[in-house]
Amino acid sequence: MLPTRALYARSIWKGPNIVPLPIVRPKPGERVQPIRTQARSATILPNFVGLKFQVHNGKVYHDITVTEDMVGHKLGEFSP
Amino acid sequence: MVLLLGVNFSEQRLVKRALETFYGIGPSVSTRIMARFSIHPTAKIRDLENKHITDLTAELTGMRIENDLRRQLRENITRLRDMGSYRGRRHAMGLPVRGQRTRTQIQTARKLNRIERRG
Repeated sequence: MLPTRALYARSIWKGPNIVPLPIVRPKPGERVQPIRTQARSATILPNFVGLKFQVHNGKVYHDITVTEDMVGHKLGEFSP
Repeated sequence: MVLLLGVNFSEQRLVKRALETFYGIGPSVSTRIMARFSIHPTAKIRDLENKHITDLTAELTGMRIENDLRRQLRENITRLRDMGSYRGRRHAMGLPVRGQRTRTQIQTARKLNRIERRG
């Protein structure tokens, strides 16, 4: 896993940009709505893997399913 | 003629220049390698002793150079592309990846940026 360039520029003492997102753990047999967000600068954390997001690009919300590779990148990188 | 990593180098060639013919070795890396084996910066291939040649061959075999490095580069770009990230898309389109302007002067990106990047 490589951090993004934005992470290289960020001070270490700040840590990753953790944005409080309304993440609900799905109960078995229950469909969860994608998480609709405008926080494009939120770092993708390991516990996001498998979740569905709708990330705003300034005009529309793009659907994203987070995979393991994406950890460490920002949400906005996947919503051009 | 001296064989280094399967490549023949002529006797009068500078060792530094000979090392820099490999993809992945530039001025700084070649200087560092030569300093480690205490070879003079202006030494030529004919000045090398057998010990030096075996040392250099061992060092070069352990490094990630030439095709290994090119493969790594391609894998990194393919990973970005498969993720669907913006950087991967820009590579696929042959356009600048890091937010440069595209009104003029994108020759380098046009030449280099692609999924199967050559070098």
